[in-house]
Amino acid sequence: MTNFNWLLDGSIVGLYLLATMAAGLMVRKYVGKVEHFLVAGREMDVYLGIASLAATEFGIVTCMYTAQNGYEKGFAGATPGFLMALAMAVVGFTGFVINPLRDSGVMTIPELFEKKFGPRIRWAAGVVIVLGGLLNMGVFLRTGGQFLVLVAGLDVKYLEIMMTALLVGVAVYTILGGMLSVLVTDYMQFIVMSAGLIVVTILILMNVGWENLVTTVETHYGAGGFNPFINPTMGWQYVVFNLMLNTAAVLTWQTIIARVLSAKDTMTGRKVYTRTSFFFVCRFLIPGLWGIAALATLGPVANSLEAMPRYLSTAVPPGLMGLLVAAMLAADMSTDSSYMLTWGSVIYNDIMAPFRKKPWSEKRGLFWNRSIIAFIGVFLLFYGLWYPLKGDLWTYLGVTGTIYLASISVLLIACCYWRKANSWGAGAAILISAVLPISYLVMEQVPSTAAIAKSIGPYYSGIATYLLSGAAMVIGSLIKPNNDVRLKEGIA
Amino acid sequence: MPKHFFWWTATAACVLWYSTITIYVAIKGGSDIKHMLARLDATRIREDKEEHHT
Repeated sequence: MTNFNWLLDGSIVGLYLLATMAAGLMVRKYVGKVEHFLVAGREMDVYLGIASLAATEFGIVTCMYTAQNGYEKGFAGATPGFLMALAMAVVGFTGFVINPLRDSGVMTIPELFEKKFGPRIRWAAGVVIVLGGLLNMGVFLRTGGQFLVLVAGLDVKYLEIMMTALLVGVAVYTILGGMLSVLVTDYMQFIVMSAGLIVVTILILMNVGWENLVTTVETHYGAGGFNPFINPTMGWQYVVFNLMLNTAAVLTWQTIIARVLSAKDTMTGRKVYTRTSFFFVCRFLIPGLWGIAALATLGPVANSLEAMPRYLSTAVPPGLMGLLVAAMLAADMSTDSSYMLTWGSVIYNDIMAPFRKKPWSEKRGLFWNRSIIAFIGVFLLFYGLWYPLKGDLWTYLGVTGTIYLASISVLLIACCYWRKANSWGAGAAILISAVLPISYLVMEQVPSTAAIAKSIGPYYSGIATYLLSGAAMVIGSLIKPNNDVRLKEGIA
Repeated sequence: MPKHFFWWTATAACVLWYSTITIYVAIKGGSDIKHMLARLDATRIREDKEEHHT
C-alpha cells in the first residue's frame, strides 16, 4: 500500500514534468556554438550556479545512498557530507586549483593537461574520466527507478519502463539545449527539490520526533551511531578515504568543475563553491534522517537500500506525496542531464580531439555533441539494467569514482603547482589509479577472489589508490626529467 | 538541552539554512537566468552584424 494518489499527486508530478520540459526546450534557440552547448557561453552567475550545482549533486541515487548510510550507520553516516562541505569551503575560499583552471579558459580538465603534459595525456585522462564517470553513473537509473516504483506503489516489472521514460525525457532537452537547458531546468528543479526535501523532513521530525530518532540510533548502533571513529563499520580508514574522495571530487569531478568553467569569471566560480558548501551537509544529513526514521518505524529490513522509500510510501500523506515524487524526479533529472552533458563534453573535447586535425564547424561540433549524449543515454539504459549492485551504494560510487578522482586530482594539482611534473609521472599516476579500483571491483565480483576483496575492504583499497597515484606522479616525473616543459600562463 | 547536541544543532542548521537559501536562490537565480539569456542574445546579435559586415 502507498499513499500516492494518482489523481492528486499524479497531477502535481505531471505539471512539474510539463513545466520542466517546456523550460528546457525554450532555451535551445540560444545554442549556436559548441561553447554555448558545453559551458553556457561562460555566462553563468552566482545564484544560478548555486541552484545548478546543488540540483546536480543531489539525485535520487544520492537520496538513496545517504538514507542507506543513515539507516545502516546512524547519524555518523552523514560524515562524508561534513568532509565534502569542508573541502568545498576551503577550495572556494582559497581558489586552490580552481583559480588557474578557470583562468586558463579551457572547457574540460584534460584540455588543461595538454598544455603541461601533451596530447597523449590529455587523451588518456579523457578516457579515464569518462570510464570512471560512466561506471559511476551506471547505477543511477536503476536506483532512481527503484525509488519511484516503491514510493508510488507500482509493480516492480514497471521499473525498466520507468527508467527508460525518465531517461528519454531528460535526454531530449539536454540534447537540444546543452548546458543552457541544464542550467535553466536545474534552477526549477532546485526549487521543487528543495521544497520537497524541507517539507518531508519537517513532517518526519514532527511525526517520528527527535527523541525517537536518537533512541533508535542508540539502540541499534550505540555510540558508534554518532561518532564515525568508533563505529565498527567505519573507523579512521572510512574518514580518511572519504576526506580524500571528497576533496578530489571537489577539485576534479566533471559535473562540479563544469560550474566553475561555465561561470562568467573566476571569482563567480569561487563564490559558487563557498556558498554551496553547507548544502553538502544537508545533502547527507537530511536523507540520513529519513533513513533513521525508516529504521525507527520499520525496524530491520532485508534490503537497507529500499527501507527509506518503503517508509515514505506510507508516511507521507496524499498531496505531499506528489510534491515528494516531483522533488525526487527533479533531483534525478537535474543529475542525469548534467552528468550526460559533462561526460559527453569530455568525449567530444578530449577523446575525439585527435580526430579533429582541422577545426570542425560549429554545426558539426553541435551534431557530434548531441550524438554523444544520445549514445551515453543508450549505454546507461543497458548498463543500468544488467549490473548487479553488491555492497552498499556509496562504497560502489566511491570505488568507481576513485578510478578517475585519484589520478586526475594528482595530475591537476601537479599541473597547477609543480614545475617538475611531466608526462611520465602523469602516465604512471593514471595507470595506478585505474588499475587498483578496477582490480578491486573485479575481485569483488569473482567468487574465488571475493573473500580477499572483502578482507582488504574498499577504504584501504581507496586510500592506497590515492597515495600510490601521488607517489607514481612524483617518481615518474623525477625518473625522467622533462626537457620540454610546456609552460603556459597560470600553469606551474 | 537536547540529547546529542551536535547532531541536533546540525539538523536544525540544515533545515533553517536550506529553507532560507532556497527562497533566496529562487529570487536571485531567476534574475541570473534573465540576464544570462539577455547577454547571450546581445552577443548573438553583435556577431550576426559583424558577420554581415565581413
